[in-house]
Amino acid sequence: MKKILLSKLFFLLIIFLLAGSSAFAADTSVCIECHAGLSGQLGEIPTAEWHTSVHALHRVSCHDCHGGDPTDYVEAMTAERGFIGVPDYAEVPAFCGRCHVGVEEDYRASLHGQLVESGGPNCVSCHENHAVQVATIDLINEVSCSRCHSYDKPALIKQEISDTEEMLSSLEASITSLYRVGFDTERLQNELFATRNDFRRLFHSVDIEKIRAETAGFEAELEETKATVDDLEETLGQRKIAGGALVLLLILGGCIALLIRRTYESHD
Amino acid sequence: MNLAKETVDWLDRRLGVRELLHSNLGGYLLPRNVNIWYTLGSVLLALFGLQFLTGLLLLVYYVPDTEKAFASVTVIMNEIPYGWLIRYLHAVGSNIIILFILLHMLSVLFMGSYKRPRELTWLSGFILLNIGLAFCLTGYLLPWSQLSFWATTVATDAAGAIPVVGDQIIAFMRGGPNVGEATLGRFFALHVMGLPLVFFAVVGFHLFCVRRIGISKPPFGDDYLPTEIPRSFHHEEHPGGIPFHPNYTVKDLSMVFFALALLVGVTFFAPWLFIPPAALEPADPFNTPQDIKPEWYFLWAYQALKIFPSELLGLASQGVAMGFLALLPFFDRGLERRPAHRPLFVTLCLLGILLFVGLSLWGHYS
Amino acid sequence: MSEAPAPPSERRTFLGIILAAIGAFAAGAFGWSMFRFLAPVERGGEDSQVRVARNLVVIGGAHFFAYQGRPAVVVQPRAGEFVALNAVCTHLGCIVKWQNDTQDFLCPCHAGRFSSTGQVLGGPPPSALDLYTVTIDGDDLLIG
Repeated sequence: MKKILLSKLFFLLIIFLLAGSSAFAADTSVCIECHAGLSGQLGEIPTAEWHTSVHALHRVSCHDCHGGDPTDYVEAMTAERGFIGVPDYAEVPAFCGRCHVGVEEDYRASLHGQLVESGGPNCVSCHENHAVQVATIDLINEVSCSRCHSYDKPALIKQEISDTEEMLSSLEASITSLYRVGFDTERLQNELFATRNDFRRLFHSVDIEKIRAETAGFEAELEETKATVDDLEETLGQRKIAGGALVLLLILGGCIALLIRRTYESHD
Repeated sequence: MNLAKETVDWLDRRLGVRELLHSNLGGYLLPRNVNIWYTLGSVLLALFGLQFLTGLLLLVYYVPDTEKAFASVTVIMNEIPYGWLIRYLHAVGSNIIILFILLHMLSVLFMGSYKRPRELTWLSGFILLNIGLAFCLTGYLLPWSQLSFWATTVATDAAGAIPVVGDQIIAFMRGGPNVGEATLGRFFALHVMGLPLVFFAVVGFHLFCVRRIGISKPPFGDDYLPTEIPRSFHHEEHPGGIPFHPNYTVKDLSMVFFALALLVGVTFFAPWLFIPPAALEPADPFNTPQDIKPEWYFLWAYQALKIFPSELLGLASQGVAMGFLALLPFFDRGLERRPAHRPLFVTLCLLGILLFVGLSLWGHYS
Repeated sequence: MSEAPAPPSERRTFLGIILAAIGAFAAGAFGWSMFRFLAPVERGGEDSQVRVARNLVVIGGAHFFAYQGRPAVVVQPRAGEFVALNAVCTHLGCIVKWQNDTQDFLCPCHAGRFSSTGQVLGGPPPSALDLYTVTIDGDDLLIG
């Protein structure tokens, strides 16, 4: 009996330590602890920037991109623990593409991707390195694109994708408000995320003909998602009407009961 | 051959129901100036009844297992017809009940109805308040959401301030060092069986006390004078009064309708009022959300614990406050019930309300 | 018609009838929702099986199709062995892609990797891909 209890406790301890270490890795790492105290580009700037990023929100930390061991001060930046360090300018697409597989594929096939060795834009040119935010259509703007060439082509592309982007935003907002009132929106969110990602990686080809050709397909997918969302919103509307009627009915009932009471009062 | 009359006759020959019905309905005379606050008792009975019904219905589909609880609630909300309605009625209902218990308690304090010979009524009522809060605390954990998990962790942590046995008490409440499967098991048992049994017993006693001594006369009006209670048991009579039925039964019914209108209104139009975003995500024992706060009726306690330099002092101060409230009729022995003639008590009451509201708001915004 | 107000008892009866009607309606509405809540749910999905022609799935290849409204995939890792899975990545919902060279699934969004039987091999996905039953029926595969 004691043996079983002891082995159970030991097991729990291991689980606890593993849990503790994984929590430790995600919330603070030795990387952050050390580099946050270093000045300038080596430390305080990137760590502060990372904290504001969408990566930090989803607990993608230093070692997830740069490799290394986030739990060991001594071995943190050794090659044995997988430390990669800072990529060169032209190595950045492969660096980000370790996770963002689809985007790298489309980027490599594009003019931008083919020119990266000679100074064309890499991921950081538009998306920042540590202060990465969720991509929006406004990453395509005059200031950013005219660093290298005129803005008319990017403007056309932005125009082409803006309708679809609007549909995406409005669907995102609708799904969020449905989620807030208790609907199970997991499938919808997955559907929308998949379509959004497929659509947004498409931009990186910077090929307006390709984008034009595929937009119809995406809009059809979004229409399907919209149909489901509209269904749910209609159900919600119907419920509110029924609820409103019921509330009025109950208030009426209360008032009638009070009126009935009155008839007894006036009696005596 | 009137069927209703035949039935009552049959029962009357065997159980004497006519006499019971008469002495509790038509023959039970109450003062004419019984005000609207007196209806809160019936309203609470109706709301609790609905709570038990919706709870029983939820029990048909809910699974009390840490792996399945959240999913079972999602099924109830999205797949079972009207599951969303039953669940929201239950969740919103629990909050409305606490609100009405507090109003009921306030009116009793204000009208001095807790004073002798009604100490037992007050005491059982106070116990019912605590049972209500225990229902809320145990019920909260059952959906196994982020809010469930972490609010329970924070709430049970408070017991750690008790010297010597604090940690053991926490472990006993949780069934282990942390909130987990064991906690769900015991909270479920309490919520679904333990607390209902105790609740029925205490509510039965509470109603018995109310009826046995007779309803108190409202301490208002020119002809009200404080009277000494008799040396031996005496049911309070109101000879010039009006019968309970139909005057006050119908009034109670109307207030029940209005209370249900409020419940249904919130349920259909703002159910998210009592469901913060953290309640929509499944529990993650390794990830504490940013600001976990208890529900509004516990915010005063939460904030009180934070402002005292030591947690033990914070806990003790709450204990003293609750203890004082529980034993109030044994401290306040004066016969005077008119609020206008009890300035000290009324001031203390108002200060208490301000403190409750103030601490709650502070807890909410901090 | 006299202008005298109706006696209390008449008013009472009238109001009482209305109140009873309201009460009956409210109770009926609630009772109906309770009945529907408790009534057995029709599981129409039980016999919704999908047929996939066997020759669409080459050995070492994958075939994507729709199952219960969601993207699904069937693979044949070894001759005669078929595995059908939910093709929605368990991370954030993108559709996984079959990699012929490594004989596993790769999600293009954040590089989540799954084995041919849906187990997580790497990346952010928190759980394995759901499996569906496959029965061989002559020249067809029956999924589900």
